[in-house]
Amino acid sequence: MNSKSHPLNRRTFLRGSGVALALPWLETFAAGSRAKDATPKRFLSVYHPDGVGLPLKSDPAWKDWSWFPRGGEKDFELTKVLDVLQPLRSDITIYSGLSHPAARNVHGHSNADQYLTGAPVGGSGPYQNTISLDQVYAEHAGDFTRHSSLVMSTNGGVGGPRGAQTQSFNREGRPIPAMNKPKQIFDLLFVTSGKDAAAMLARSKSALDLLIASTRSLGRQLSKHDQQTLSQYLDAVRDTELKLEKAQKWLTTPVPQVDTRNLHLDAEPKEARLYFQTMYELIYLAFLSDSTRVATFQLGRENGEGPHDLLSLAVGLGGAHGLTHAVKNPGGWQNLGTYNRYQAEEFGRFAQKLKDTPEPNGSGSMLDNTLAMHGSASSSFHLSRNYPIITAGGKNLGFTNGRYLKFGTGNEDNQAGAGIVSDAGWTGKMEVEELPLAKLFVTILQRLGVESDEFSGQTGTLTRV
Amino acid sequence: MTRTLSFLPQSLLSSAGAVLLVLGGVWMIQAASGQEMAVSLEMAREQGRAKSRFLKDTPEIAHASDVIPKANVAVFQKSVGPLLKKSCVGCHGPEKAKGRLRIDQLNPDLLHGPDAERWREVFNALSKSEMPPEDEPDYALAAADRGSMVDWLSAELNAASVVLRSSQEHSSFRRLTNYEYNYALQDILGLPFPLVDKLPPETTSADGFNNSSELLRMSAMQFDTYRELGLKALKRATVSGARPPAITYIISMQEEMDKAAAKEAKEELEKAKAAKRPDRKRNPQRSKNQPQLVQRATGERIDFAEGEELPRDGAVVGKTPPLSPVVLELPRGRELKLDLDRFLPDEGTLRVRIRAGRSSMNPDEYASLRLIFSAHTSNNANFSQVVSAHDIPVTAPADKPQLIEFDIPLGDIQRNPFRHLATTFPRRNEFLHIQNVSNAGGGEEALRVVMDHIEISAPFYEQWPPQTHAAIFFASKNKGDEQAYGREVLTRFLKRVWRRPVTAGEVDPFMALFAKYRPGFPTFEEAMVEVLATALSTPEFLYLTQRVANAKTKSPAQISALELASRLSVFLWSSIPDDELLQLADQGKLRESKVLTAQVKRMLADPRAQRFSQNFVEQWLGLERMSSVTHVTDNALKAAMQEEPRAFFVEVLEKNRSIMDFIHSDYAVVNERLANHYRIPKVYGPQFRKVSVTPTTNRGGLLTSAVIMTMNSDGKDSHPLKRGVWMMKRILDDPPPPPPPNVPQVDLTNPEILKMTMKERIADHRNKPACNSCHSKIDPWGIAFENYDALGAYRTRIKDQPVDATSELFNHQTLDGVDGLKRYLLTDRQDQFARAMVHKLTTYALGRPLTFSDSADLDRLTAQLRRSGDGLGDLIQLIVRSDLFNSR
Repeated sequence: MNSKSHPLNRRTFLRGSGVALALPWLETFAAGSRAKDATPKRFLSVYHPDGVGLPLKSDPAWKDWSWFPRGGEKDFELTKVLDVLQPLRSDITIYSGLSHPAARNVHGHSNADQYLTGAPVGGSGPYQNTISLDQVYAEHAGDFTRHSSLVMSTNGGVGGPRGAQTQSFNREGRPIPAMNKPKQIFDLLFVTSGKDAAAMLARSKSALDLLIASTRSLGRQLSKHDQQTLSQYLDAVRDTELKLEKAQKWLTTPVPQVDTRNLHLDAEPKEARLYFQTMYELIYLAFLSDSTRVATFQLGRENGEGPHDLLSLAVGLGGAHGLTHAVKNPGGWQNLGTYNRYQAEEFGRFAQKLKDTPEPNGSGSMLDNTLAMHGSASSSFHLSRNYPIITAGGKNLGFTNGRYLKFGTGNEDNQAGAGIVSDAGWTGKMEVEELPLAKLFVTILQRLGVESDEFSGQTGTLTRV
Repeated sequence: MTRTLSFLPQSLLSSAGAVLLVLGGVWMIQAASGQEMAVSLEMAREQGRAKSRFLKDTPEIAHASDVIPKANVAVFQKSVGPLLKKSCVGCHGPEKAKGRLRIDQLNPDLLHGPDAERWREVFNALSKSEMPPEDEPDYALAAADRGSMVDWLSAELNAASVVLRSSQEHSSFRRLTNYEYNYALQDILGLPFPLVDKLPPETTSADGFNNSSELLRMSAMQFDTYRELGLKALKRATVSGARPPAITYIISMQEEMDKAAAKEAKEELEKAKAAKRPDRKRNPQRSKNQPQLVQRATGERIDFAEGEELPRDGAVVGKTPPLSPVVLELPRGRELKLDLDRFLPDEGTLRVRIRAGRSSMNPDEYASLRLIFSAHTSNNANFSQVVSAHDIPVTAPADKPQLIEFDIPLGDIQRNPFRHLATTFPRRNEFLHIQNVSNAGGGEEALRVVMDHIEISAPFYEQWPPQTHAAIFFASKNKGDEQAYGREVLTRFLKRVWRRPVTAGEVDPFMALFAKYRPGFPTFEEAMVEVLATALSTPEFLYLTQRVANAKTKSPAQISALELASRLSVFLWSSIPDDELLQLADQGKLRESKVLTAQVKRMLADPRAQRFSQNFVEQWLGLERMSSVTHVTDNALKAAMQEEPRAFFVEVLEKNRSIMDFIHSDYAVVNERLANHYRIPKVYGPQFRKVSVTPTTNRGGLLTSAVIMTMNSDGKDSHPLKRGVWMMKRILDDPPPPPPPNVPQVDLTNPEILKMTMKERIADHRNKPACNSCHSKIDPWGIAFENYDALGAYRTRIKDQPVDATSELFNHQTLDGVDGLKRYLLTDRQDQFARAMVHKLTTYALGRPLTFSDSADLDRLTAQLRRSGDGLGDLIQLIVRSDLFNSR
């Protein structure tokens, strides 16, 4: 590991991230924020395909290149894969023993689709997904901001069934297209176009006026009882009117001004480091300007050649997906671990930046009011069990960090499915007990202020979190 | 149990012998001769009918519009009160108050007092002989006394309901349900495919119905979705500009054979080279179990299951080419998989036209075609989906093939999202599979589908502009004048959407809206579509209205003829009325007795009436529960199970058969798959049809249909409690109360309990004091079904023990299995079932919960139904002309 990969101090990241931050500019952002009275609660989920390295204990690589930490809840020790997060130790939590029950016997390549939804999407045949965690929160918090959520991925679009290129799914279970071009994301966030939108709004407004008049005229011909029923319709129209007015306001509210001189908006995945950092930077700017409070970011698709595969170029390695297949080659575990380490490093850089930025409209740092989650729907080779998950931040939301939380039983040292390079893993019987990841999602939703005790058919929260 | 035949009518007695010999049965009766004779269920039905209180010569049941009746407290004080004191107050009085009922405190004035609902419970318990309990001889009630109490209660309850009805408002004013909204959109716009899958699911009422006015709420989200769907539907129905060129594939069997032969020859050559052996002749032995291309003249065959196709420039669809010298033979269960690459358009109709015939004509064998769409974008990222709405049967002989056409909405099915990629990975191709779904046997001469010509084309239009467009933007001499033509278009559209004539004044605001929109759009049509979308969001489209002349008027009042037309169409078509209904209503003829009868007949004969049987049966029987059943792994069986009750209902409805057929019939309505499940021989083909059954089949009626048994199981075994609750809720309309809090769970960790049979476990639970009062009413109904397993298959043993399906009802009536249950219902509970059926069907027809105040009307309807002979078709006619259906 060269010294450039250890950049988690404030000065280096400012230089590395390609954005010059100046205080006056920060204040402009704060002024542009809508809900000034309430401190924003933010949620980010970053997904990486292909899982992580899980060598067997007997393997010499185990000591350095096994993803999960070793030790107890507080005295855990990070291996080389996650040691880049050591400076943030008191701001992160690492989880083991969590997975979505419906995916445990489905090939890992099919499972990016269900990481945030927990839906039983299966491995073949007809396909139906359900709403994702971020969108449940976006339904709750989306009205406070210009954009209800920011959906990003390296590959963009929706991908295919069981080959998702987006982490976000709406109420009907349909994928929400992800954006993958920094320029496009930047324009959405910080450049108004809005001409078509304004025309559409004006049309809707006229239509609603007509509908209100028409409802009133019908109401006069109904009995008292039926007028009561019809009043629900009128309320629905009025609520829609309010929504339009809000949209109208956003149209006329100037977008936050951002200095783009140091942003690399043309970065492409093959310029891995630059691209990666620019994408994270855009999330940071979106949060900072309170343009949205919800974001998802998927690093590519499961099992694919494609742009995301190039991200491993950042650490001088070939196709990322290939790394998981080559763990038994000389240096294989180290290569996969190095790539995972790089992912953690960029995540850490982002978290550090939030930590270093005071909350514009509240107490503590931005990180204290943000829960950033990083994970995959596979651990070992093609195996959708024991998801490797890290969360950062959320102190003001009620998260106590600096912990390694092991859930389930029978797999305390993360050896179930370790060292496999065949499909015997995911097709095999589950020998250990894991808890439903959806329970963590319920905890997250509640901490974000969503009154809900259920996600994806799982009721109740995760204790200890 | 011993009864004599002496009470049977003479005519029945004379034919009884013959019937009994044929049908057998389990209920043995001491005949005069001393020999045991079985009474058939058919005879039980006759006997039961003779007992109906609705057939007695009672005075005409009170009429809603009659003079407001008075309470008959005198009779209460003279006879009913003292009888209650003697037989009931002991347990339901100051000392015990069992079931929290204090009969001594009920106000005997049912008309004005607050206790009418409680009195109905008393009435139910007395009339079903559930009370007083048989094992309390001190409180026994003489039959005559019971009769006089029941008569008094019945009269007072009816009177009370009339009073209530005239003083309390309840309304059928409601929005359309999701499915009604969808059908209405489809019918207005002439769109063949369902459009609505975005609306939030409806709430189900306590009665099991999804169209209940109290529960059909409106929210901003719902409203937003209506606006979105309306516009989407209109955009789908209309077009602009020139006809888009179609992408067309034509699969030539001759070309495919040439390609396949060349490929095979090459492979053979390579194989031979690799094996370093001289070129050998191809092995002519091929299994006919594979899809094969066949040279008609020579009989030469070559395997062919996958074709790679490209669109053909300038190809025209819909032509009928001469028969091809090469044909494709598709055996049972096999498919032809066509790789269409990435050229299909994003939107529009995909027309698949196949010329096909059968290789043999054995009438017991069938074959049909099904379309499947799939993509395989990278390994472990694939999908496949049946896209044809129905399998289409192949009925013509191979030498005189038929044309089979499928239309698939490309914008609605799962597509390969990578089809527009510039790069080749993930894979961009899309595949169409043509599958033979058949019951053909095996062997060389087994029935195969023979295809000689396939066309695939999209976007496909029968005409340009399409009919859906021309119906909105029709020909008119005013077409050049946007103002005049716009008004014409709007007037016609609004009339259809609002189900009534519209005035010029009502069109004005829409014209004003059009004026605002017009500058923003390049064409008249595009601007108008936005205005029409607004019409599809108006409350008069989304709601079933019932106007009053004056908002202060109280119900009941008659709805208008136009509103009746809408109510009829929503009842029988789940949609808006057609022009004929509207015209008759507008002319004031719809309420004429003959016209109304004829219209109901016409509506029921229309294909749209399938929506009625579908939706009513699903909601009445609670078939929705089947969607969460996971233990039926055979899709064909599951589909057949779900279809059976609807097919049975249609059979009863179309032939105006007695509703008692739902309890038991000497026929079943099945298709081949279900007949196999029921072990009914010689039923071939996927279509449902009526077949005779004998008692040994253990079927007949709806109660034992596989779907009911399956959804009321626990996934592994029968579930008597679920089945009992289902019976009470759906068939007897006597739903049990919800379980009280703190009910002890059945302790499955207790080894004693684990050892028990299901029936014993239930009995153990029932004997707990907290559970007994309800379970003694529920369990017996379910235990009677123990001969039916978790898939509704008949069994005589459970594990190693014989099935014990005998149970005892709360009133000590013994039910010996399903036969006994049916016998008891037919003998003693016909009135209850008839009233339940009237209640369910009327609730659905009105789209609102029925309350106590509707009781008199329901009783009158039940009496009319029973007197007319219990026909289901008659019941529908009775409902549509009832006061209930015609008033707000």
